[in-house]
Amino acid sequence: MAIEQVSAPKQTSFRYRVLWRQTPQSFRIGLIVLLVHLIVAITGPFWAPYGFSQMGTGIPLSGMSWTHPFGIDQLGRDVFSRVVHGSHIVILLSLSGTAIGLLAGAVLGLLSGYLGGWFDNLLQRLLEALISIPFLVLALIAIASAGPELSGNPILVVLVVALVYAPRIARIARAAAMDIATRDFVTVARLRGESAWSVMRRELLPNATGVLLVEFALRAGYAPVLVGSLGFLGFGLRPPTPEWGLMISENRALIIITPITVLGPGLALASLVVGLNLFTEGLARILGRTVRLGNQ
Amino acid sequence: MPILRLVAGRILLSVLTLLIVSLIVFAVLEVLPGDVASRILGRDATPEALELLRIKLGLNDPAPVRYLHWLGGLLSGDFGQSLVSSRPVTDILAPRIYNTVLLSLYAFLLYLPLTVIPALIQAIRRDRPVDHGLSIVTLVLLSMPDFLLATILLFTFVVLVPILPAISLVDHSSSALDYLRAMTLPALTLAIVMAVYAVRMLRDNLIEVLDSDYVRMAELKGLSAKRVLLRHALPNALVPTLNVTALNLAYLVGGVVVVEKVFSYPGFGSLLVDSLQLRDLPVIETTVMIAALVYVGANLIADIAAVLLNPRLRTA
Repeated sequence: MAIEQVSAPKQTSFRYRVLWRQTPQSFRIGLIVLLVHLIVAITGPFWAPYGFSQMGTGIPLSGMSWTHPFGIDQLGRDVFSRVVHGSHIVILLSLSGTAIGLLAGAVLGLLSGYLGGWFDNLLQRLLEALISIPFLVLALIAIASAGPELSGNPILVVLVVALVYAPRIARIARAAAMDIATRDFVTVARLRGESAWSVMRRELLPNATGVLLVEFALRAGYAPVLVGSLGFLGFGLRPPTPEWGLMISENRALIIITPITVLGPGLALASLVVGLNLFTEGLARILGRTVRLGNQ
Repeated sequence: MPILRLVAGRILLSVLTLLIVSLIVFAVLEVLPGDVASRILGRDATPEALELLRIKLGLNDPAPVRYLHWLGGLLSGDFGQSLVSSRPVTDILAPRIYNTVLLSLYAFLLYLPLTVIPALIQAIRRDRPVDHGLSIVTLVLLSMPDFLLATILLFTFVVLVPILPAISLVDHSSSALDYLRAMTLPALTLAIVMAVYAVRMLRDNLIEVLDSDYVRMAELKGLSAKRVLLRHALPNALVPTLNVTALNLAYLVGGVVVVEKVFSYPGFGSLLVDSLQLRDLPVIETTVMIAALVYVGANLIADIAAVLLNPRLRTA
């Protein structure tokens, strides 16, 4: 019997290919969809056929054609170009809002779960109360509180996304911290005399990475919906910003004449969220966690 | 009775949460913005008008006094007067809440078959094309913002197949049929959004139950497949879904804001958006508090139902 020769993989690309095949299908599809969106977001402004507020690109409301795949709105702007120009705005706002929410939520939640006691109790009640206000309602009153001078400001939208997500992320981080805090290495760190902040940063945070990563992906998946809903209701970015929710609301009145001007931005928004959701589900499976997709 | 104590504890916590919500709402809307009077009247207001509004709102008192006064009003059912129409908030709110309750009931009525039927089909045809197809449909619907879903439904049933009205304006003089027609699209939107979460969960539960020993036992006894599915598997798979249903009720409170606005349905959610645009503070505060009340109530019911249905949670 001949001894089979097992040769080591020669090329690194081959190893990556094996790794790629082992990932769940949802992860792969999600990643590809996200990459397409990212490429459009980054390169889009350079190749979009028209400017985002350029008028007179064709006959207003003339519908779908090869030169105008998403039609032309009532002001004569090319909707496809607007969608492309809006891509980086939607993605940037969603990601930065979720990232700030993650940072604040993780720090608060981990500290709260580790320290326990009155700090934990007080914070839990406050976060519970913030979660009890439906997230869109919370976002709306936060914007109302900021006042008319700040309305339409992208930074306000980012902070509102962070405000809505931070309590929800903190709740997850707290549960993770309470679990990790029972392990021996945390006790050792505490007995070494490390401060709560340093225990959180060096012991809790690295061990909660998986949970927080999935949580970030899950929240980031709905951030575009939140940003879009605010824009749609007229509390988000201001026209002529090509934010997708705002575009859907602007073109909705004329949906009877040119449905594609609504469906185009809608397709962009829905495909981004589908991509993020598939990615999240796959990521959770790779990290050995379960995730319930949903906005609740 | 340990259960009673547990339930009482949960109720107390909920009341505490609502109190903190009221503090947050008051702080966010009346303390943080600085001078509320100039915020409401805008930059061009005359000093006299500002002073008048300050007196009307009691803005010259210190914040804690104003908070206690406001909270006392809320608790005794006196929600104040609208700044825009000078009518009592109660009069403005009552018909809106009535409309939204009707809409929610209708949505829940549509929600049940929309959840059970697709989940049953998926569970029976597990891993077949139908199952995969429906999984993709629910994933796409799950990822679709509710305002987009509402707009697409509007386009489908108003433009392509014109059977329903585009604008859902109703008032107390509308007939029952008008109400039903007006409510169908918003209710359908809400029902679909709620159902997609539940379908995904119910499908997994059903498959798990169908693999269990006692379902196999029922099959071996020679019961018909239909009877096994509907009488043995479904009731057991539904229990975990009840929790989702209670959470869906909580979703509804926020969901109506967008959906009612899309269809111009005169309910509680569109009232909130309108009063935010008009900066009608007493109406905003009352609607937000009611939204939080329903949300906390729905979660409380979900918690208590979970404890009653699952004895293992009772010791926790």
